[in-house]
Amino acid sequence: MNEVTSASGSMLSVMGYATELPWLWAGLSAYVLATVIAVMGMMRMRIGVTTIGAMTQASPRPHEKFVLLMVALGVALLTVAITERWMRLGHGPFVNLFELLMSQLWSLGLVFAVVYWRVPLLRPSAVVALPMTWVLGGWVLALQPVDTAFPPTYYNDWLWAHVGLGKFFLAFCLVGTGLAGVILLRNTQRFAAWFRHVPADAVLDALAWRFMLLAFIFHSLMLTAGAVWAQDAWGRYWAWDALETSSFLNWLMLGASIHARLTYRIPIRVGAIAIIGVFVFAFITYFGTPFYSTAAHKGVV
Amino acid sequence: MIRALGSIRLALVGMLLLAIAAALSYGNPVGTPVWVLVAPLAFLAVNLLAAIATNPRINRRGGLLVFHLGLLAIIVLAGIGRLTHLEAQLEMTEGTAFSPADLTHLAKGPWHSGALEQLVFVQGPFTVDYSPGIVRGLTHSQVLIPDGQTDASGGTGGWQTKVVGDDRVLILEGYRFYTSFNKGFAPVLTWVPDGGGEALSGTIHMPSYPLFDYKQESSWTPPNEKGVGKEIKFWLRLKTGLRDDAAWVLDGKTTTGVLVVNVDDRRVELEPGQSVHVPGGVLRYERLTTWMGYKVFYDPTLHWLFGAAIMAILGLGTHFWRKAGVSLQIAPVLAAIDAPEVPRASPPDASAGRLV
Repeated sequence: MNEVTSASGSMLSVMGYATELPWLWAGLSAYVLATVIAVMGMMRMRIGVTTIGAMTQASPRPHEKFVLLMVALGVALLTVAITERWMRLGHGPFVNLFELLMSQLWSLGLVFAVVYWRVPLLRPSAVVALPMTWVLGGWVLALQPVDTAFPPTYYNDWLWAHVGLGKFFLAFCLVGTGLAGVILLRNTQRFAAWFRHVPADAVLDALAWRFMLLAFIFHSLMLTAGAVWAQDAWGRYWAWDALETSSFLNWLMLGASIHARLTYRIPIRVGAIAIIGVFVFAFITYFGTPFYSTAAHKGVV
Repeated sequence: MIRALGSIRLALVGMLLLAIAAALSYGNPVGTPVWVLVAPLAFLAVNLLAAIATNPRINRRGGLLVFHLGLLAIIVLAGIGRLTHLEAQLEMTEGTAFSPADLTHLAKGPWHSGALEQLVFVQGPFTVDYSPGIVRGLTHSQVLIPDGQTDASGGTGGWQTKVVGDDRVLILEGYRFYTSFNKGFAPVLTWVPDGGGEALSGTIHMPSYPLFDYKQESSWTPPNEKGVGKEIKFWLRLKTGLRDDAAWVLDGKTTTGVLVVNVDDRRVELEPGQSVHVPGGVLRYERLTTWMGYKVFYDPTLHWLFGAAIMAILGLGTHFWRKAGVSLQIAPVLAAIDAPEVPRASPPDASAGRLV
């Protein structure tokens, strides 16, 4: 049995005005604006002509600059929101679902912005990837910004490594999912015109799986760092708790998908579905655990 | 034969079996037999070994080879770890020395052969910080270990104080002692039997505090000439300064407690130093002290496991860097040159195997 815990945050009251909320709203609005600009840009492109060379060149088309600007602005505003809360509570966004969602919105935006900037090929996937932030954004706004206390077992440097590496994993999964989404959407009548200037499925497929391999590396690092933290914090490196079991299954799923992709000539669209499946599983692992477990990790306090 | 054992098809089957085993292991259910995990892991270990030996796509690529060797090492080390591990729980009264006999909930592997008997340390006082709402903060538990060494065979004869807690583990001869949320108070009692028998002295550990603040009860049955005497029930009425609305520190040094003794229908309140005569002898409440709960863990493979995991990931990272990550832009552009001009028309299997 545990004493009163802050893990769910439910035992603590809202202790003051959540000064981070205006910044959170502003950051999420920037993400929404980025999505709208991305969609409008793709709609305009369906009547234009773009070569593969143009898709891969370093200089972005006008709407892409604004998409990048808006995502970057969103990240900056969320940085302020997280900093506000951090300074008010005295600890980072690690404890309850509100904090986890807020920090994930920040990290997903940051990694996606960098990749969007550096890899022009995947820019059309913004119309698939950015709406994912709406799901998290809508969710976080529906939650009470309950104040939390920092559990004693969180005073550990490996927590930072574990959480940080996990954020990279999810962000690279999001990038792969965006590309997989483009592959699936372009094969539908409704969206075919949006993506007719985007390079071949095979190119997107190869790029998407590279990001999934990168995600696999970061997932492995996240599990390793998490095991070290768990050993320090609770005296065991693995205990098959809800989050450990789910994330291990996610790791196996991604590993099996990569093996299948490499060995068998699975159709590109099946591969795209597998990528989305891995992302959905990761999403459930990260954000679904509170619904089937009282604490993310066994002995979280 | 060996080549067939190392096929990716079998690897996928092994992963599926391991996934099922992982799902069955969720929450460490008591009834799950050990082979549920051991069987798929052994299957995958054989598959990995065969693949490393026969698959040129693995053994001719340095990064992938290191990665798969790392995975194999993790499986083997985890197995050795379970065979040699020890896990237990421990409650230590302030001022007493560690004794292996005090371990409870003991579980150890058949190959465990650590130096548990040689461990020497003495429990000191502790404090625990609490935030408003009785939210537990950091634990600071003092222990005394022999000066200048960490075993019982040498030393300078002195003791050094170490503070351990949630963020600092005590490691002696590979045994790790983690403070747990279990801790509480313990009245020190002396029992002098009627008729001049040998006096007994000891402590009674009350339930964990403040988790069971409302239930500081226990009992003890003293021995007598006929074997077993009458049960004595205890209730400890504490003044710890516990506050729900403000930060607070649980500290045995500033805590006082009245011991309520019940025998038959008789009820007596004792302050430290006071005695009461009950059937069979005299019970003396000497003073109030504390006990600290620990989780004990021993696994000699921990550092090797970490090394194997890092080695595996570095191997995979190297492979990625060489084959896929030189530039996430250049390779797709090159691939695009080969792709059909009508972008959508690419055959489903056009990119199979291009990832690496």
